[in-house]
Amino acid sequence: MIPTGMHALDEMLGGGIPGDSRVLYSMEPGVNGQLFMISTLSAALKKGMTCLVILPNTTVDAFRHDAITLQGDQKALSSDKLAFIDAIDRERIQKGAASRDAEARDWKARIQKVCRESGVDVIFAYFDLLYEEFGLETGLSILESARQDRKTTLILEHLNLEGAPLVDRFIHEHSFDLVLTIRSSSHPLPQFSYFTLLHTSWAPLPVRSIPFSVSEGKVILYTPKIVVTGPEHSGKTTFVSHASAADQETTRAGVPKETATGTMDFGRLRWKNFDITLYGTPGQTEFDPQIMPTLRHAMGVVIVIDAADQDMFPRAKYLAGLVAKQRIPFVIAANRKDPHKVIAESVIRNALALPREIPLYYISATERSDVSRVLESLVDYITRISS
Amino acid sequence: MYNYKTGIEQIDSVCGGFEAGTNILILAPPMSYADQLAYALIKPLQGEYSIVLSTNERAAEVVDYFKVAGADKRFVGVIDAITKSSTPSIADTTRLMFVSSPTDLTGIGIKFSNMIETIFEGDFSDGEPGLFPPPVRFCVNSISTLLMYRRLEVLYQFLHVLTAKLKKIEGVGIYLLNSESFDEKTLSLIKQLMNCVIEVKMENNITYLRIMGIRGVTGEWLKFTVTKGQVVILP
Repeated sequence: MIPTGMHALDEMLGGGIPGDSRVLYSMEPGVNGQLFMISTLSAALKKGMTCLVILPNTTVDAFRHDAITLQGDQKALSSDKLAFIDAIDRERIQKGAASRDAEARDWKARIQKVCRESGVDVIFAYFDLLYEEFGLETGLSILESARQDRKTTLILEHLNLEGAPLVDRFIHEHSFDLVLTIRSSSHPLPQFSYFTLLHTSWAPLPVRSIPFSVSEGKVILYTPKIVVTGPEHSGKTTFVSHASAADQETTRAGVPKETATGTMDFGRLRWKNFDITLYGTPGQTEFDPQIMPTLRHAMGVVIVIDAADQDMFPRAKYLAGLVAKQRIPFVIAANRKDPHKVIAESVIRNALALPREIPLYYISATERSDVSRVLESLVDYITRISS
Repeated sequence: MYNYKTGIEQIDSVCGGFEAGTNILILAPPMSYADQLAYALIKPLQGEYSIVLSTNERAAEVVDYFKVAGADKRFVGVIDAITKSSTPSIADTTRLMFVSSPTDLTGIGIKFSNMIETIFEGDFSDGEPGLFPPPVRFCVNSISTLLMYRRLEVLYQFLHVLTAKLKKIEGVGIYLLNSESFDEKTLSLIKQLMNCVIEVKMENNITYLRIMGIRGVTGEWLKFTVTKGQVVILP
């Protein structure tokens, strides 16, 4: 097994990447996901494997400097078990070849030579330029050529400008063993990045999306969570219990029912491949100190209000302000506890000082479809990519 | 919605400047001072930020230009795609970031996102935080250079993402393209990504511009020059 260098991901994969596999890290533009490749490279080197890095758009020195700056493992990334084919080699190949076919042959010859002489275990290739110059078939055949002689693992990073259809081709036409897409929302704040484990050939893993952040040279995975907050008696607990998937139970932090108003509600749901945990905060002001820690790493927030209880609007306004200050995406769910007494949207917006772009939904917290609509639109908003 | 003042009376008096989310192509022949026009249009006014993706000048040269033009350099960021090829160990700072070459679209995309995130977080300069979302003027100082390194279709897809992001953050984007080096197909494909085109021409050593795509602004040729980072329309 080749570890990815990301502990939580390795656990999901059953220890790492099996030898002789073909792996794709597919990145969308602008997402800070370069550490996936660098971490895997560093972990492979630490394991004593010999690695070839193919860098058609940069030089060895620039790559090494950037990789060490990003990941920090100077020792591993300066290892003599590391061979390169870089932008200077690419220029030589382009100058020396009379045709595109000759160029492809030269690429193959160079890769085979390095693999044979150095006994390469893993090839790490930045695929963009090879793909652009030769297309998918020939581009991959160039990299595959070295794998015919010995069992070499191939790991690609690719800037995917074509979206899902291209990723599908890696999976279905070229039988890649592990395909991971790395994406981020189009909103600048909070920077919400996530990867989706789209395909694993060696284990029947479900498709899963996991948010991550990058800190101190590490990819940190965290639990997708949505916080449900609002004034007391607005219907938060009902909302969380009806939001949860039918086969999942909601819990109240393991305390007796009679004290439940002062405890957190937990629920789970699955949407867009995210296994999302819902955290319902208590509504009373004395529990406000719990809110800030709960908001940490939240994907989004639902503020539940009683659509008929104007007295609670100042409290809701305070909570909306708290969330807005953290720049966490949020929506308002106005719960029609009494369908005959519903305050108009304009009055609610005015009372809560809500900008137009913040969605406000009238719901019944006891209706699963209403609750799902709110949560699904929130997740769609958070994960929407510029297009 | 925020309006980005241009200093060009013909635009500012009609609509108050470029509307937030506008992407503008400057189509100009070589040596027509179009880069100066682009820089003048993205010079940050008070409370604004500017980012230049420089594919043909070093970051230091870009910053110098803004300094001479009277801009506060604390509000100017540069993504430099030139310097790293000769100085591989050059390190990023908050306002100056480096990618290995103009081919490195992955790096360009990441540095752009990082810079925007820093601006939105209020950590870009030590000035007082102002408007939110912060007004950002962005310039690619030339698409022509990027087209030398990457295929048109690839660059189109990449610019599609970049222009959409800029729209999303309510910024304004200025993209320079040499009008004489590319065929009609290239020009029309790039134009598809833009809301407005400023054409530049030179006749008898006099530069002219015309503005197309802004409602209420006539598309007549106007004589212009750039002085101290300011576009001056001549009589």
